[in-house]
Amino acid sequence: MTERHSTLKSYTTALPAGFENLRYGVVVRPPHYRWNGEHFACDRLAHVDTLALKTLPYDARAVIEGNFVGVVADSIENARDAAKCLILSWQAHDPIAATPAQKARVNKKSHKAPVHQKNGVADIEGSHADRYERDYGWPSRMRWGETEGWVVAEYRNNHLAVWTQTTTPQALRQDLSTLTALDADQITLYTSEGTERRVASGLGRHCGDDAAVDAALMARALGHPVAVWLDAQYSIDVKALGQAQRLSLSAAFGEGDHIERYRYRQAHASGEVVAVGLLLSGRALVPGVLTNTEKPLYSPYTFQNAHLSAHTGRLSGQALNDTLLGIQQTFARESFLDEVAHARGQDPLALRLRYLGDARGRELIESVAKRADWQIDLPSRSATSDVLQGRGLAYAQLPDRQQRLESGVRSAWIADVEVNRITGNVQLTRLVVGQDSGVEVDTARLQHTLQARVLGEARPLLGSEPAFDEWGDGRLEDKQNKPLARRQPSLERQVIASNEAPSALPVTLEDTELSPGVAVIANALFDATGIRFRQPPFTASRVRQALQEHDLEASTGRNSLFLSGKSRSPRRQWFAAAAFMTVAGSAAMAWPWKGAIVPVSRPAATLYSDETIERGRLVAAAGDCAACHTVAGGATNTGGHAFETPFGTLYSTNITPDEATGIGQWSYAAFERAMRHGISRDGRHLYPAFPYTAFAKTSDADLQALYAYLMAQPAVSASAPQNDLSFPFNVRALMAPWNALYHDPKPFQPDPAQSELYNRGAYLAEGLGHCSACHSPRNAMGAEKDGKYYFAGAMVDGWEAPALNTLSRSPIGWSENSLYDYLRHGESALHGVASGPMAPVVAGLSELPEYDVRAIAHYVAQQMEAPSGNGKAQQAEAQRRVAAAAVSPNGMEEGERLFDGACAACHLDNGLPSFTRARTSLALNTNLYSERPDNVIQSILGGVHADTVPDVGNMPGFADSFSDTQVATLATYLRARFAPDAPPWQQLEQRVAAIRQPHHNNTHSSL
Amino acid sequence: MTLKLKVNGQNVELAIPPTTPLLNALRNDLALNGPKYGCGLGECGACSVLVDGMAARACVLTVASVVGREVTTLDGLADKGRLDPVQQAFIDAQAAQCGYCLNGMIISIRSLLNHTSTPSSEQIGAALEHHLCRCGTHLEILDAAHRAVALNVMALGGIDD
Repeated sequence: MTERHSTLKSYTTALPAGFENLRYGVVVRPPHYRWNGEHFACDRLAHVDTLALKTLPYDARAVIEGNFVGVVADSIENARDAAKCLILSWQAHDPIAATPAQKARVNKKSHKAPVHQKNGVADIEGSHADRYERDYGWPSRMRWGETEGWVVAEYRNNHLAVWTQTTTPQALRQDLSTLTALDADQITLYTSEGTERRVASGLGRHCGDDAAVDAALMARALGHPVAVWLDAQYSIDVKALGQAQRLSLSAAFGEGDHIERYRYRQAHASGEVVAVGLLLSGRALVPGVLTNTEKPLYSPYTFQNAHLSAHTGRLSGQALNDTLLGIQQTFARESFLDEVAHARGQDPLALRLRYLGDARGRELIESVAKRADWQIDLPSRSATSDVLQGRGLAYAQLPDRQQRLESGVRSAWIADVEVNRITGNVQLTRLVVGQDSGVEVDTARLQHTLQARVLGEARPLLGSEPAFDEWGDGRLEDKQNKPLARRQPSLERQVIASNEAPSALPVTLEDTELSPGVAVIANALFDATGIRFRQPPFTASRVRQALQEHDLEASTGRNSLFLSGKSRSPRRQWFAAAAFMTVAGSAAMAWPWKGAIVPVSRPAATLYSDETIERGRLVAAAGDCAACHTVAGGATNTGGHAFETPFGTLYSTNITPDEATGIGQWSYAAFERAMRHGISRDGRHLYPAFPYTAFAKTSDADLQALYAYLMAQPAVSASAPQNDLSFPFNVRALMAPWNALYHDPKPFQPDPAQSELYNRGAYLAEGLGHCSACHSPRNAMGAEKDGKYYFAGAMVDGWEAPALNTLSRSPIGWSENSLYDYLRHGESALHGVASGPMAPVVAGLSELPEYDVRAIAHYVAQQMEAPSGNGKAQQAEAQRRVAAAAVSPNGMEEGERLFDGACAACHLDNGLPSFTRARTSLALNTNLYSERPDNVIQSILGGVHADTVPDVGNMPGFADSFSDTQVATLATYLRARFAPDAPPWQQLEQRVAAIRQPHHNNTHSSL
Repeated sequence: MTLKLKVNGQNVELAIPPTTPLLNALRNDLALNGPKYGCGLGECGACSVLVDGMAARACVLTVASVVGREVTTLDGLADKGRLDPVQQAFIDAQAAQCGYCLNGMIISIRSLLNHTSTPSSEQIGAALEHHLCRCGTHLEILDAAHRAVALNVMALGGIDD
């Protein structure tokens, strides 16, 4: 049963095969470690106590080298749990003493804060008078990896074999060689990527390399092959390593905006950062100094007074990645020239031609411009209000292998992009590339490569750069039809990266001068949005964040933006205007605190792009809008669903875009106010049965997408019944002081001390998912209690929502994997199926990508302090309970007769095959162990309808065949037989009678 | 929305709500009246069918839950006009009084024999335990079950499988 539900995608069963004595490793990184651009600094491991590992029922060992800490065990879950048992004391690193270089930099005057100090996103500063200075950055890691998967290292007889995903095989090989002191021919790299073979793109490393070094380090220490799971958790390394390269440019202008002086400086000659495992274990070599053998720097342009320099050399013994350096230089220079052109009001194309002496280059640029129909200002072509379009240009000329610039390859690129203002997604829609030598350029393939590497194609799976409000695209093929094996790298022995690696690259990429690729996107992005991105990658979450900050600045300084339009580029003016003329308005638009918001006509169906609407669909699924806003058998989201509360009956409203009865006349501002503050468009207060207290945590992007989605749905005319509340609760104005007391409208803030997975889970569970609306008890005023009552369980709609914190009464403790199975498949082997009001929640979650469901499971597991997987102890305890319940207790013949007649056919295991037998024994059912009999009575009366769980029968309801007495007798019997250590329930008959009459029953009340 | 099922070896498509009970779909949409409607609560076993060769109570299964699986009803047990050994045994033993429960009895023994060709008496009893007969033919049904074991072994060509 567990096997069936493992769905092969979760790492629990995706075990790499074919290794003897394979062990599973996890790493524990120091609390603080970072690469500051030139040096590595980290907390020092002062003391480690591994004694606790010996007390574990499985074999777990620690690998400690310098500040590297790894734990290896017989399964990944055990390794994770064992890692939690280690007692580590870290000595904090003194940041001031160890980064003299950075300190010196800060002290230097006239340096604007470089972009990487503003979270590496972007800034939107304007120009300076006669001098223009900008810093650009290049990340140490482009992202955490390609897809999640196993990385395995095997060290045997002075030979190291590593199965991993990498885009930089040479650099990885060099790192592994540094780690093991083996020669290159004693190291074999295998692809683990299944069918498609990715090649080095030259755009930089990802954490596949770090995972490979982690695995190799542990495998070498223990003499066993070690598997490490590579997933978004590794983005902690992406953050810690930060920038690999900083590039500073400046220009001074003379008469007629002529550039009189040009300065280019890069931080160091290497441009790459070695694997984290090397840095932590102290095996990374010391930085070298600039030597005469370092390659000189080039620029294709000629300026009167030009100076190009690198600040430091590279780590001795580190491979020099010419391709990467070329791309970094081109990115900085071409972005800078584009900025200069915009700042001085010049055509970026004309500016380049002005300083390009090389006739062949000029000819190439002009022909590409002609082919792409380059114009200074393109008319807006966007059909929807949420998509911005832009175009950029970049040019490069790099020396040939003999360091001769004249005979080097020249290439000119023009790219068109579309930027989704709400999701931040960037699509490279057109690419024109001209190159004056070599084979014909395969632009389709280039486009694909850049989309993947610079813009982040892996997002549908996991988010190339996970952010708490990053969504998968939900149209994942593997949801239903796709065989599940795709994500499981078959560890086939396909050697990549032999020593002559370049020849392994396909012709089109090898011979194409890739370096303008990143700059051309950055320039097009600026054209589209008015925001300058000075460090790749331009992932959706970064673009989204920058756009939101920009909106905020634009709205606060609205007037000045319009008035000072002359000094700004026409494109930016257009952007600013567009942002305010859309019906939807911008996220930062102010709305009145109280009172009505002016009705608008229903937004046109084409206002938003499909992509935004799709994101909104996922937001709606996570928030499960339809569950409350749809009445049984009614049209979706037309309202009318009744909520029994201690204060009276409430009805949900019509949220289709019908103008008269729905939210068709709601502007985005009105919608946002309702979601964040619980105030209707007409100014009336909403009751917190609508969980705006949770929805307030939703990010702006998600709220806008949700609005787009709801407005794109069919309008249905339907009026909800009037609420039936007793005085004084029918006075809506009383909600104002209630909100002041109990509502915190602050949007979700991720906890930097927690993992991406946890923050994503927290965002979903605390916000859209509104888990606590049911699972936390409420006080006398109907407000959720927090603190130790958070997730402590509560009664809702006549059902008990069990505790999701350490108060859980489940007979077998939950694990993260069990929670995942339950939320993803509606069933956990050791706990049973989701039923009652939880069944539609699971149905809603089925729309979400796997990562999101795993994130919620992870978050809830943390609240429960639950382990990652089910250990042997839990399995044994489950077996013991099932065995103990095999015998019927004495003296309960009446209950036994009822059970045998009505239940036993499905709920007793006679050892023979049956398709309709309940897979989970009643002895493991949490409801039978609860203080309250409500869920058991509900299930007997109404049955269990687990329509979303595959291969499971529905339990019929017995309300029409059992009397109250019989239900009470049966419940007593079930409690005695299957939860023998719990005290008998009292006054069952009265409870059964109350539950039979749902309308006299309290819901949403506290315990 | 249509649901694609495989019933008695035939692929069928049904345009019905996915939550329709399998029993209703078999009897009403596919005219397969072998499975009977008894209690509708999974208690009596009259509605039993085989799903992937395992006994299942069709009144508590939705149509959606058997998509992608093989459903076999009493109507589909015979192979090219040749009765299944279990059916033959029940005829031989004249195990029917009213006969309403026999569908479930036969399906359950078929499921048992799919699991083990040489079941013990206890296993036969367990297989029939939650199948209700109200006419009192229990002894004849037990006889038929034992005969079915023998006929099945013969049909398989010995007990060495």
